[in-house]
Amino acid sequence: MKAHDNSLKYFSLGTIWLWLIVFALLPFALVTLASFASHDDTHLLTTPATLLNYFQLNNAIYLKIFKQSFYIASTCTVICLLLGYPFAYTIARMQSRYKSLLMLLIIIPFWTSSLIRTYSMITMLKPKGIINSILLWTGIIDKPLPLLFSDTSVMIGLVYNLLPFMVLPLLTNIERLDNRLIDAARDLGANRFTTFRRIILPLTMPGILSGSILVFLPAMTIFYIPDLLGGSKSILLGNLIQNQFLIAQNWPLGSAISVVFTLILAVMLLVYWHSMGNKERDLL
Amino acid sequence: MMRFITVALGLLIITPLFAAENIVNVYTWSGVIPDSAIRQFETETGIKVNFSTYDSNEVMYAKLKADKNPSYDVIEPSSYYIDRMRRQDMLAKFNKAELPNFKNINTSFLNQSYDPKSEYSIPFIWGITGIFVNKEYRDPASFQRWADLWNKKYADQIMLLDDSREVFSMALRTLGYSVNDENPEHIKQAYLKLKELLPNIKIFNSAPISILVDEDANVGMVWNGDVFRAKKENPHVDFIFPKDGFVVWVDNFAIPKNAPHAANAHKFLNFMMRADVAKAVAIDNSFPTANLAAQKLLPADVRDSKTVYPSPDVMRRGEFQTDISDDALSLYEKYWERLKMGG
Amino acid sequence: MNKLPVTSYLTGIYLFFYIPIIFLIIYSFNNAQYSLIWHGFSMRWYHELFADGDLWVAVLHSLLLGISAATVAMCVGGLTAITMYRYDFFGRRLLSGLIFILILSPDIVMGISLLILFSLLRVPLGFWSLLLAHITFCIPFVVVTVYSRIVSFDEYIFEAAKDLGAKDSVILSRVILPLLWPALLSGWLLSFTLSIDDVMISYFVAGPDFEILPLKIYSMVRLGVKPEINALCTVTFGLTLILVAISQLVLRKKP
Repeated sequence: MKAHDNSLKYFSLGTIWLWLIVFALLPFALVTLASFASHDDTHLLTTPATLLNYFQLNNAIYLKIFKQSFYIASTCTVICLLLGYPFAYTIARMQSRYKSLLMLLIIIPFWTSSLIRTYSMITMLKPKGIINSILLWTGIIDKPLPLLFSDTSVMIGLVYNLLPFMVLPLLTNIERLDNRLIDAARDLGANRFTTFRRIILPLTMPGILSGSILVFLPAMTIFYIPDLLGGSKSILLGNLIQNQFLIAQNWPLGSAISVVFTLILAVMLLVYWHSMGNKERDLL
Repeated sequence: MMRFITVALGLLIITPLFAAENIVNVYTWSGVIPDSAIRQFETETGIKVNFSTYDSNEVMYAKLKADKNPSYDVIEPSSYYIDRMRRQDMLAKFNKAELPNFKNINTSFLNQSYDPKSEYSIPFIWGITGIFVNKEYRDPASFQRWADLWNKKYADQIMLLDDSREVFSMALRTLGYSVNDENPEHIKQAYLKLKELLPNIKIFNSAPISILVDEDANVGMVWNGDVFRAKKENPHVDFIFPKDGFVVWVDNFAIPKNAPHAANAHKFLNFMMRADVAKAVAIDNSFPTANLAAQKLLPADVRDSKTVYPSPDVMRRGEFQTDISDDALSLYEKYWERLKMGG
Repeated sequence: MNKLPVTSYLTGIYLFFYIPIIFLIIYSFNNAQYSLIWHGFSMRWYHELFADGDLWVAVLHSLLLGISAATVAMCVGGLTAITMYRYDFFGRRLLSGLIFILILSPDIVMGISLLILFSLLRVPLGFWSLLLAHITFCIPFVVVTVYSRIVSFDEYIFEAAKDLGAKDSVILSRVILPLLWPALLSGWLLSFTLSIDDVMISYFVAGPDFEILPLKIYSMVRLGVKPEINALCTVTFGLTLILVAISQLVLRKKP
């Protein structure tokens, strides 16, 4: 490419790099620094530098919180994938004039506060809420089920909030699927299952992976869903970090947890990139 | 795109104008000041109130600590946090000359150990942490003590406040210790005691009115004013003053050091202490008021309610919360985290 | 193909998305302050809603913040995507990797790291801290949206323009922008959506002078929502539906 007018290039590169350095890299460097600081009752962060915050992480409770968050986030991801894949597939392959409307209908709930929608689930799950009322009325149960303030309600809330993040990348991915490949497979005598396993699944793997990442990561850290639907009983990673910053006033420890979590995340992403064959275009 | 940019720039220029007005930034416990009182203050004085709320002292304290630029003008910490913030030089002394209505405050709440000369805090509301029971489902007679909550019969049914100090106070009282105990050994015992309670706990929540009203939980720990309010929509909820002792707390108005609008803060506080205003506020939040002049004006149903204003006999079982050392506090936090993780 | 199971499955998922919204609408007419059980029909929360100035100020603040953040993010993100496509430069892979990581970095870590930054730089918490934070988390989404659109273009368009002697700035305004505006618009919309619904990051960087709707809702939600919020969400949901219906009609007539 011949460079005869580079002002635009330098302007936009300058802007984006400056922005990312000041508001993304610098803050993260500060968190990393803070994770080596100490704290006392008058200072949130102070000297001397210490590794204590990292040693503190190695205790049974934090490991348990991490394991539990990991378990809940993975379960949530699997449920979203099982619910979302056939859904996205059906809509993406649909030949109907309502298709764009159906896709729009997935996005519309986003424009109503997710908190309020989550809160509205409380009204449904209460012992005297609508679900229990219907079940009692039809005689399926004779005592209200303890749906609210349980792991079940946290899971329902997580799936509800995150399912669209699974569906949307899958939709884009499946839409781009080349019909001719599927037809070819069928022509060559593959049955539906084989076609799915050998052709469709591998081709939609990028969508599955990005959907799973977009569900898994927030599921580990969203703090308000366990607060609202779990009765503040189940602490997930997000609650733990939030507590250190806003309740326990232990910024160094909260920073250390964030740093470790981010590192684990980075490792997961590296694995993901590696599995994507390291093609740059696939990053975005 | 040019149009977008123009609009955005236009908006950016307008915004600071909102901020330059005559304002006061008020940050209080949720549910203690009704919007109507704020409106009235704004109409009477022309001062705009930026009103925000918190549901634990810790969150308020952390917000103040984190923001290096002083931004709040009026806060409302519990007494033991007044003590802590005063010692850390985070509070400003009042200019009493600007607070003529200070005379309305009940003198029995003044000059307490957390603020010996009442220079930094104005008692606003007080209350009692006790037990609530729904009479439809449970016999109040079987919940006369905190210790009764430990009964194995109540698996997954009990609500506790989402407040480490309150929950530990309960356990300390059942063990016969003071709610202000700092002895690590005693705190540990309290933790072990609470661990036994875990299977019974259904919810931690500090704003439980709808939980009481809708019978999501029928027994648990609660502040007395909330029960009085819940009764309006569900008459079966009852409040019990535990026989093994209870916490009496006082929440106080204070002005943070270097508050940007200190003069307006004084105006706001003087307004809040006016008898008619304090009366309307007390009726709305249903907590006992520390404003004696207002208490006398209250309608009979509130003034004579044994839930809101218990008899002196009952009050003798109460114990005031005071600040505890940082070591004790971090011990609380450590055990609190463990409890929430299931031991 | 067997139609009934497919249709009922799709309906089931859509119901899952919409039932909480339907309940929210129903409960905005509930005649009870604290209870979340049906206590009869009432319009009182709508009366309170329209009398509550503070709530509308919060709505206005959120809109202002959303529009400003989305607009700045659209400009910066759009330029970045174009630059990344058009030019080869040192650190290109690093940049794309960084943007990718930003999308995935947990909100809570971003929130606290910005809080530490603002606290150290003594940036007062309020409109500006919120705006900077929101722009930061919106930019990567714009870059991704625009970039995925731009790679589907025919490269030769740009080459042709260049061969005809067009300068970069002319190519940008005459070729790229006209082709790219749908992607820029959807990037803007995505940013706007993210901004007006963000709780986790705003929670840490908000101050008292500038209250925004999601945080107001968050403090209310923990303390028992006043049904007036349900009324507000019903109103905004209704407006959204109307806007969507209009845009559908307009778009359908066009071709």
